[in-house]
Amino acid sequence: MPLVVIGLSHHSSPVTVRERFAFAEAALPGALQELRDAGLAREAVILSTCNRVEIYAESDLPEGQAITRLRQFLLDYHKVQEPPGVEMYARGGRQGLEHLFKVACGLDSMVLGETEILGQLKKAYETSLRHRHTGGVLNKAFQKAFHVAKKIRTETNIQRGSVSVGSVAVELAERLFSTLSEHPVMVIGAGETSEKTARALLSRGAHSILVSNRSHERAVELARELDGRAVSFDDWAAEFPRIDILISSTSAPHCILDRARLEPLMKARKNRPLLLIDIAVPRDIDPSVNFLDNVYLYNIDDLQAIAGDYLRQRREEIARCEAIIAEKAGAMMRPASSSQAGAAAPLPGLGKASA
Amino acid sequence: MSWWTDRHVFLLAVIAYGLSAVYSLFLWRKGFRKDDYINYGVLLAGMILQTKAMFMRGLTLKECPVHNLYEAMTFVDWTIVAVYLVIGLWPPVRYLGAFAAPVIFAIGVFALMPGLDPAHTGLTPLAANDLVSLHAALTLLSYGAFGLSSVAGVMYLSQEHDLKFHKLRAVFAVMPPIDRLEKITSRLLWAGFVLLTAGLALIPFLLKGRPEFHVASDPKMIWSALVWCLYLALLVLHGRFAQSGRKFAWGAVASFAFVVLTFWGVNLLSPTHKF
Repeated sequence: MPLVVIGLSHHSSPVTVRERFAFAEAALPGALQELRDAGLAREAVILSTCNRVEIYAESDLPEGQAITRLRQFLLDYHKVQEPPGVEMYARGGRQGLEHLFKVACGLDSMVLGETEILGQLKKAYETSLRHRHTGGVLNKAFQKAFHVAKKIRTETNIQRGSVSVGSVAVELAERLFSTLSEHPVMVIGAGETSEKTARALLSRGAHSILVSNRSHERAVELARELDGRAVSFDDWAAEFPRIDILISSTSAPHCILDRARLEPLMKARKNRPLLLIDIAVPRDIDPSVNFLDNVYLYNIDDLQAIAGDYLRQRREEIARCEAIIAEKAGAMMRPASSSQAGAAAPLPGLGKASA
Repeated sequence: MSWWTDRHVFLLAVIAYGLSAVYSLFLWRKGFRKDDYINYGVLLAGMILQTKAMFMRGLTLKECPVHNLYEAMTFVDWTIVAVYLVIGLWPPVRYLGAFAAPVIFAIGVFALMPGLDPAHTGLTPLAANDLVSLHAALTLLSYGAFGLSSVAGVMYLSQEHDLKFHKLRAVFAVMPPIDRLEKITSRLLWAGFVLLTAGLALIPFLLKGRPEFHVASDPKMIWSALVWCLYLALLVLHGRFAQSGRKFAWGAVASFAFVVLTFWGVNLLSPTHKF
C-alpha cells in the first residue's frame, strides 16, 4: 500500500476544531503504538502543530480502507463525535508524497515559506524513528522531503525576506547597524505589536531594552519579560541620547515626537543613526522628522508594504517550487533503474500516483 | 611578438574593467539582490592582467613604473582594484565592486589616452632614485585608497537614500549596513591620509641640494598640501565634531573628484613633475 496522509490544517478547519485533534508531544509514542497495534499502519509519523494535525502512514490495507480507518482513529483517539466543520483531507501515493514535500518547504503553511514547520516535521519524524515506528517507506519519504526543502531553500526565494511587521523592523535595523547588541532599543507604549517587535529584535542580538508606558506597572511587567528596564513615561526623553532604535505604539491622539523636539535630542546623540518604528495609529511621530540627517522613520504602512512585497515575491516562487517538488516526487515514484531492470513497477511501498 | 607591449596587456585589463562596469549596470537594475561572484571574478581577471602589464613595464625600466601620467593612473587604478579584491572577500561588501567598476574603467580609459605615456628618457627633473620611486608609490597608493573610499561613499549615499525614502531595494539588496559602510569609508580615508603624509614627508629629502626647486612656487606641491589639508579637515570633522555619515560620504566623493579632475592639469604646471 502506498504512503497515505490524512489530517486537518488551517486550510481545512478553524482553530476551534484543530485544537480538539492536537496530540500532546508526550502522547505521540503511545498514539503511534496504538496505530500499529490496531493494524492500521506498518509505519507512521504523526505531525501535530498549532496549524495542522497529520498522520503519515504506510499500511497493508488498501488505500481507501486505510484512509477511512485512519480518519476513524483520529476521531476515536480524541473522543470526538464528528462535529460540523471537520474537514479532513487525505492524499495517497504521489499526491501524498507531494503533500509531504510541500509541508516540509512551507508551501502549505499559513505564512508562506516559513521555516519553523521543517523543524517541527523533523522532530515528528525523529520521535517516530526513535520509537521504531518508521521503516523503509517513511524513512525514504521523509529524508527526501528534508532534501527537497533544502534544495528549494537554496534554489528559490520562497523563504526570502520578512513577512511580519516585527521581522521587517529587525531587517531594517540590520540595514543600519552591523550588530544589534551595541544599539539600545526603547519601546514606548507596551502594546502587543511593539512587544512582538521588541522580541524580534531581542532574538537577533539586541539586549538593552528600555520600556516606557503611561501605565508604569505595565512598563515594569513588559521590561521584566524582555529582560530590560522600565522608564517613567515622563522621563523617556531623558534616556533618548542612549538609544538607537525606538519602537513607538502609544494610544496618544497626537504626535509625541516631532522635529522641534527631536533636533536637540539628535545633537545630544552626536548624530548617530536613529531608527524610528512608529506602529501607532494615529501616528506617534511627526513624518517631518524623516528629513533630519541620520533619522530613518518607518510607520506601520511602510513596514506592511515591505512585508507585502516579500510575500508577493514568495508567491511568485510557488510555481518554481511546485515544479521542483513534482520532479522530485516523480523521480521517487519511478523505478530505481527502469532502463536496467526494464520494469515499470514503483518503488516498494510508495505506490502509483493517485489519479 | 615585439609589437605586443605592456600597454596591450593593460588594454585587455581595461576591457575586463569595462565588462565589469556594464555587468554592474545589470546588477544595479536587478537591485543587487543576490551575492554575485561574477563581477568579482571579472575584476580579478582584470587585476591579474594589469599586474602583468605593470610588471612588464617595471622590468623594462628596472624600477617602479611611476614616471608619467599613464603609469601614475595605472598605479592608482591597480590600488583601487587590489584593495577592493581584498575587502570584497567579505560577501556583504562584494557589491562595492559594482560601484568601483565604472571608476576603475574610467581611470583606465583615461590612462590609455594618447600623449600620456611618453617614452622614458631618464631625463627627469629630479634624479631617479629609490626615494623618488617611494615618494611616487606612496602618494599614488594614497590616491587609490581615496578613490576606493569615494566609491564606498557612493555606496553609502545610495543605501542611505534608499533607506530614507523607503525604497524596497534598501531591504532587498545584499548590502552591508550603513554604519559598516561609514567605517569602511573612514578607514580607507585614514589609510590614504597616512600614505599621503608619508609620501609628502619625503619631499624635503628629495629637494635636498636642489635650490632651484621651491615648494612654495611649485603648483603640484601647493596642490598636494591642499589635498592633504582637505582630507585632514574631512577626518577631523567626522571624528571630532560628529559630522553626519551623509556629509562625510559626500566629502569623500567630492574630495576624490577634486583630486581626479585637477591631477592632470597640476602635473602639467609643475616643474618637478614634468616627464
